[in-house]
Amino acid sequence: MNFLTFLVENINYLGGIALFLIGLHIVVTHSNLIKRIMGINIMGTGVFLFFVAIGYVKDGIPPIIIGGEPIYINPVPSVLILTGIVVSVSITVYSLALTIRIYQTFGTIDQKEISKLIQEEEYHD
Amino acid sequence: MINQLPILQLLLFLGMALSIPLLRKRRFNTTLRLGFIVLCLVLISSIFIYIHVISEGPILYYFGNHAQRLGIEFKVDAFSSFFTMFIVILAMIIYIYSSGDQTEGIEEKEYGRYYILFFILMMSMFGILYTNDLFNTYVFIEILSITTCAIISIKRKKDTYTSAFRYVMLNEIGSLSYLFGVALIYMATGYTNMTLVYESISQVWQTFPVNLIIAISFMIVGLGIKAAVFPFHIWLPDAHSSAPSTSSAILSAIVVKVYILVLTKVLFRVYGIDVLEALNIPVILMVLASIGMIMGSVFAIAQKDVKRMLGYSSVAQVGYIILGISLLTHDGLRAAFFHILSHGLMKTALFLSAGAIIFYKKTRRINDFDGLGYIMPVAMGLFSIAGLGMIGIPLTSGFISKLNLGLAVLELESWILLAIIIVSSLLNVIYYLPIIISAFLKNEKYHYRLETIEKTPKGMLIPLIILGVLIIGLGVFPEPIMNLIEYAITSLQA
Repeated sequence: MNFLTFLVENINYLGGIALFLIGLHIVVTHSNLIKRIMGINIMGTGVFLFFVAIGYVKDGIPPIIIGGEPIYINPVPSVLILTGIVVSVSITVYSLALTIRIYQTFGTIDQKEISKLIQEEEYHD
Repeated sequence: MINQLPILQLLLFLGMALSIPLLRKRRFNTTLRLGFIVLCLVLISSIFIYIHVISEGPILYYFGNHAQRLGIEFKVDAFSSFFTMFIVILAMIIYIYSSGDQTEGIEEKEYGRYYILFFILMMSMFGILYTNDLFNTYVFIEILSITTCAIISIKRKKDTYTSAFRYVMLNEIGSLSYLFGVALIYMATGYTNMTLVYESISQVWQTFPVNLIIAISFMIVGLGIKAAVFPFHIWLPDAHSSAPSTSSAILSAIVVKVYILVLTKVLFRVYGIDVLEALNIPVILMVLASIGMIMGSVFAIAQKDVKRMLGYSSVAQVGYIILGISLLTHDGLRAAFFHILSHGLMKTALFLSAGAIIFYKKTRRINDFDGLGYIMPVAMGLFSIAGLGMIGIPLTSGFISKLNLGLAVLELESWILLAIIIVSSLLNVIYYLPIIISAFLKNEKYHYRLETIEKTPKGMLIPLIILGVLIIGLGVFPEPIMNLIEYAITSLQA
């Protein structure tokens, strides 16, 4: 029972860590380059969720001043993560562009086949 | 006025990067000269800032005049301005060389783009050193990693794409790990400003030890991947061997060092020595560094490609720097900082001279170096000086840094570390000395024939000679630099 309450109370942090690990697993184990880029994105989402979750205050409302004395959530992490999202988009764009180049030169986006092609080339030299 | 100078430096780099595409219609020499003027201006202003900082204390700059806990703060002190000076000087040498080395694998069309990336790279490195905010550091780190990846993949060759892709993936894992560390620190302290985090960490570390241990491990792994600390170094040899020589020099001599400096900032400015020792972090770093020092050299021995060999040698040398930092003593830091300088100079020298050799002889296999000393005396001579420096022969700067590191280790009376330093130096002998011997003593048909000497363009020769002079000068007169390093260390620990 204790474990369950811990799980429910910290679900946003645990979710962030889970996404981070899922993403890491995809990046490390998959050989398809597009899937690896997706893995990086999932990892990033995990970190962003974790960061935003820090700013959450129970029963808090978004920090828009409406009069009275409501509890606001902490807006700073959300603002920081906005920057983080932009950065992660640019990384995605760069790596996708690189994938296009790789496809044009090798005709495949599978890491294993690419390494095989490179090895064959070195063998012919 | 002087408060604005660091920001003006960043803007100058950015403006230069933006004006290169606008100058496309002009002759390329105009762009090159303009870029050189920008670098000179930044060097002068860096020296000016350094003198100001030493006499009047650090420059604090608040963006938009927000409060310290809300906005971004730049803190320019002896530590950051000393290393920005070093970066500009090295960058200028590489810049002069690269303008003489116009065809090395980069197409004419891409040539302007190379310099755009170069200036954005400089901007982000200055930003990383100046900023006093953990999250802002993350943003600059991302700019730096995108530009370094691009500068590696700029050559339109097959293997650059795959090695750049691997570099992007590992770099991104590193950045996200670093960001996770920032998140955990923010969770424990509620700040991202380094000064404020430092103040509150000394109070809260006993309440949240798990948070802070996980945070520092994430940061060590993240920055370790980027700085090529041993088990995370797998991207480095590939990236080096396929990139243009000037890119390899920038990457190995400057970019890797900047990540180490970020790690130093996190260790000393954010955590502080007391907390680190209580959490037992130095031991982990020490083990990583020692394994790297041995294994990097062992891998380097097996390489046939000269640039791959230099890449693995970097892995070993990064180990020395991390070892010096992980001692957490004044002497250890001094040795580490000095080695950052001397390794920067020596690795630039090695990559640039290897670049000159690859440029003319179209070979990068170590076996083809026989008799090269008689064909390219300047390039091979510099290669020998820098190689001897790597081994740690007296009169070179490498000797001074190894001597200091040895003394720092002796101060703690840890004989194992001393043995590792000596073994690692001996391993360096195994892979640098045969190249030097075969270049100057083998293949005697080239002996003393002046007409076999290749003509290298002046733009490439001058930087090589400057580097050689600097390496020996630093080895013979280390005191002036040591004094500057003392200021950097005191400001780091203040």
